[in-house]
Amino acid sequence: MVKLKIDNADFEVKEGLTILDIAIGAGIKIPTLCNNKNFPHYSSCMVCMVKDQKKENFLPSCSALAQDGMDIDCSSDEVKSLRRESIELLLSEHRAECEAPCKVVCPGGYNIPLMNRLLSAKDFNTAVQLSIAQIQSSGLKCKDCPGYCENACRRKKVDTPVSIKNLQIFVSQQIKMENRVAGQHNIKKSSKRFASHIGKIEADELQEWLKECKNVIKRVREISDSDSAAMESESCMHCDCRAADNCRLRDIADEFSIKDPRGKIVNSPIQKKININTGLIFENAKCIKCGLCVRLCENSKEEPGLCFINRGFVSIISEPLTEDFNDILKTKSQEVIDICPTGALSLKTHQPPIWGA
Amino acid sequence: MDITSVVDEVVELTGRDPEKVVLILQEVQKRLNWLPSEALKHICEVTDITPEQISGVSTFYSQFRHLPVGKHTIKICAGTACHVKGSPLISDAFKRVLKIDNVRNASPDNLFSIEEVACLGCCTLAPIVQIDGKTYGHVKPTQADEIIHDFLISGNQPVNTPESVINEDIDAEIRIGIGSCCVAGGSKEILSEINNVKEKYNLNIRLKPVGCVGVCNQTPLMEIVTKENIHSRYTKVDKQQVEEILLKHVRPRSLNKRIKGSINDLVDTFLSEEKLSGQVNIPVELREKYLNNFLNHQVHISTKNSGVLSPESYEEYCLSGGFEALLKCIKESDQKSIIKIIADSGLRGRGGAGFPTGKKWGISFLSTGNPKYVICNGDEGDPGAFMDRMLLESFPYRVIEGMIIAGFATGASEGIFYIRAEYPLAVTRVRTAIKRCYENGVLGNNIYDSTFSFNVKIFEGAGAFVCGEETALISSLEGKRGTPHLRPPYPAVSGFRGQPTLVNNVETLSIVPWIITYGQEALCSMGTEKSKGTKVFALAGKISKGGLIEVPMGITIREIVENIGDGVINGNTFKAVQIGGPSGGCIPASKADTLVDYEELTKLGAMMGSGGMVVLDNTDCMVDMAKYFLTFTHKQSCGKCTFCRIGTKHMLNIITALTEGKATLEDINDLEKLCKYVRDGSLCGLGKTSPNPVLTGLKYFREEYEEHTRGICRANKCRDLIKYNVNDSCTGCTKCSQECPVKAIPFKPYEKHEIDQLICTKCDNCRIICPEKAIEIINING
Repeated sequence: MVKLKIDNADFEVKEGLTILDIAIGAGIKIPTLCNNKNFPHYSSCMVCMVKDQKKENFLPSCSALAQDGMDIDCSSDEVKSLRRESIELLLSEHRAECEAPCKVVCPGGYNIPLMNRLLSAKDFNTAVQLSIAQIQSSGLKCKDCPGYCENACRRKKVDTPVSIKNLQIFVSQQIKMENRVAGQHNIKKSSKRFASHIGKIEADELQEWLKECKNVIKRVREISDSDSAAMESESCMHCDCRAADNCRLRDIADEFSIKDPRGKIVNSPIQKKININTGLIFENAKCIKCGLCVRLCENSKEEPGLCFINRGFVSIISEPLTEDFNDILKTKSQEVIDICPTGALSLKTHQPPIWGA
Repeated sequence: MDITSVVDEVVELTGRDPEKVVLILQEVQKRLNWLPSEALKHICEVTDITPEQISGVSTFYSQFRHLPVGKHTIKICAGTACHVKGSPLISDAFKRVLKIDNVRNASPDNLFSIEEVACLGCCTLAPIVQIDGKTYGHVKPTQADEIIHDFLISGNQPVNTPESVINEDIDAEIRIGIGSCCVAGGSKEILSEINNVKEKYNLNIRLKPVGCVGVCNQTPLMEIVTKENIHSRYTKVDKQQVEEILLKHVRPRSLNKRIKGSINDLVDTFLSEEKLSGQVNIPVELREKYLNNFLNHQVHISTKNSGVLSPESYEEYCLSGGFEALLKCIKESDQKSIIKIIADSGLRGRGGAGFPTGKKWGISFLSTGNPKYVICNGDEGDPGAFMDRMLLESFPYRVIEGMIIAGFATGASEGIFYIRAEYPLAVTRVRTAIKRCYENGVLGNNIYDSTFSFNVKIFEGAGAFVCGEETALISSLEGKRGTPHLRPPYPAVSGFRGQPTLVNNVETLSIVPWIITYGQEALCSMGTEKSKGTKVFALAGKISKGGLIEVPMGITIREIVENIGDGVINGNTFKAVQIGGPSGGCIPASKADTLVDYEELTKLGAMMGSGGMVVLDNTDCMVDMAKYFLTFTHKQSCGKCTFCRIGTKHMLNIITALTEGKATLEDINDLEKLCKYVRDGSLCGLGKTSPNPVLTGLKYFREEYEEHTRGICRANKCRDLIKYNVNDSCTGCTKCSQECPVKAIPFKPYEKHEIDQLICTKCDNCRIICPEKAIEIINING
């Protein structure tokens, strides 16, 4: 047995436990991004730092083994400022946007990229549900708005903005009386939340977003029917993050009331890899290199997965050099998406499980 | 031969084990010169290596190339000593002369590629350029053309080194250094020339290749010992002079007298930076006198018999008392007593952190597991340090003996030499030595008829500084990316393959036989209260006499610089000493009376490190030094933890802005804060110590940092803050105009020349070539 102190409370535990294990058991909250109970600890994010008061040094609690006589500090300002720094460092290379520009400027906070995803998937029922929820919670109607969304649309930099306003109006016209009663949803306002920004985008980086709209044949301005709605919504570049409401990095940034660091540093150009077989999307600029997906893939011999490439600052997660991104993770896409603490891995057809509920 | 059969051939040799991935990649690259993805794919097909593993590993280590390169690789050393002596300019010069395409990294004719390497370990000959196996020292940017020409003509012809034979009736013994520094200085050519002369005149001499002599910046070094036991040393020997020198000694001795008169004048220049015109013949009594300073302040334990022992000769090592310590351990002692002797001697790890060796052995001894391992950490990657290379090259048997004793004491049965790939000669020597040890029964089963068996193999590193950290080293051995993890568990408890593994530095092991032979008190009586024995340093930089030195702990830095090193070169002012490489710091001249001691150095913000000691003078910029080291650690970071991966990038950005005159005082404060976070938050020693060069810089040279915010670099080093200017001493000889590679100096015979600042690339050629010293570097804002 090992005796130690954590935040001045005495503990007696069996050997081989980490400080984080003990803290979780005792209800002491320590934030972490790279730790997962199903895998051996790795200590990459360094958000879980604690202080060893006797040795006067700091340790990642996820891999620091409890040792006899330790006196661990989990909650002083000193510890918190170190944790805060690690999050700020991670965010300083997080060249991604939590929310799409169109959604940010929308007075009603409409989830425009999601609507476009629903329309392009021809899921009109859900699209109508979303429209009802949006109108109900904001009280705003698109026809009364000058259309800030289209002004902010990033597609404008390529050719013309997506016809967002007409798409939204088209969907709202499909709302029938009986649906209104059924759709008692409220959209969560996310404007108060932490929002990461992308910084400067190079011209060739912009091309990466266009990968999402490969099927666009022609652009439509007036939306008259479901076919034209589906066609025009295909041209949305999905600048938002599909994990906006399911991102541990964002949650922790909120918890520490962090503002997005200015002047993002670039370790490699933004890339959007799309697996045409499974719809898995990997965006390197959102990745925090915690290695969880790599560890998940390690134990599966049967299908090629993800691995680290390069060393140090320029290291990235990638498919193996010998494989094509389209051929990896045939069955494990959902597993790697679920384990990813950010939105670096997502599914093309992703919908939030309970939007607005 | 096609790619798949190359891979098949390699796998036939190495086996299919995933642990062998580094070796397989090395062997494939040796044959194909790069790693085509077809080869990687086929490796996965015929071995148990997965695509993920091979991708992760082959991109982690800098040795591996995924693009084809030129036929010959020009390695430009970017070590500390080379950096302070201008290696960035050399690199530029080669790129310019060869018209290297930056994307392909090859010359248009595909003959050459350029690679900047962390450190070739020839610091005393800085700056160094190595083309394939051939090394050029003291290179100037203006010589790029000449060197390429020389290489293409002479190529890289290997010279066989003769085995030395003992007890032979001869007239004289010719000792010639074959350490890397001497080889770089051209000792192999000298060796073959001596052979030629020997045959031509049928001389009765013995040629004896010896290990490092320690006087590394005066290579090649040749020592002649006649049968009357008169020693004569020649420094910087040239091929043409060999015949003359030999005939002087092996013919009637009266010739010696003839030159004796001139010796006294030459005494002072021996071992000095100045180029010696004539060769110096030094009789034994005089030699003692002036080697006095360089050699006699030293104490030789790790480097015992330096310049005398033939590195590859098992017999000579035995004659000088080798393997007696091992015999004593096995026959007369037991595990616990040996560990106690090591613990009582006060020996601490020489790799840098100074963990008590006896304690480490004790932990490993008490850990249960079978088999147990001993690893000799020879992944010396500090730019500016080459002690481990020298010890492995010159005293391979001593290190092996230390390792076998460590194995016996801790109950291990297998030893692994982890040697970095940049040290091919060390690998060859150790390999030969291991072979000889097996032949003579000191390795293998039932050593000295005891029940103790010990086997040793070599693992060549693939170019990752972080693998010097013991947990990363073990990951690397296991065929993984070399990333460290938090200790405990310590390797001594759970290391290689999860078994108890003792990891000791080369130098630490080389001291072990001495302690066993002479007793723990002998070591304990040397040094300070907490640091015992000696420490080997690689003394280089702006120093008159550089080389590999072994000094007792507790000597002051000033004694090393002024007595052993004979002060700084060119009459410049001694400014600071960089100790401990990228993990250490710059100790200012004002603190030069600090003792060499683990705790004392740490107190100053530096650290013992592995033993690189680079002397800096007033022409060195402290901000530039910090930038140099940060660039290194940032590049070598494994990328696992946030603070080291991203934090060092932010630090580097601020430092770079400083050297460009674009930073503010506020940035300096931010930098200082960031340094503290990176120090506290990083996972392993590499990250934790990476801010040291900056923190010591800010501690002792803050005003220099602040000057940079105003655009002033007092050392005239930071390229963006200086310009080249022609002063009134110009005679209009036009040499500068002819030498300028970018035509920034108009051709104006007999007139004062001018430099077009808009065209000038600050390559330094004009300043080197000017016979009148008319070209000066001035501050852009001064």
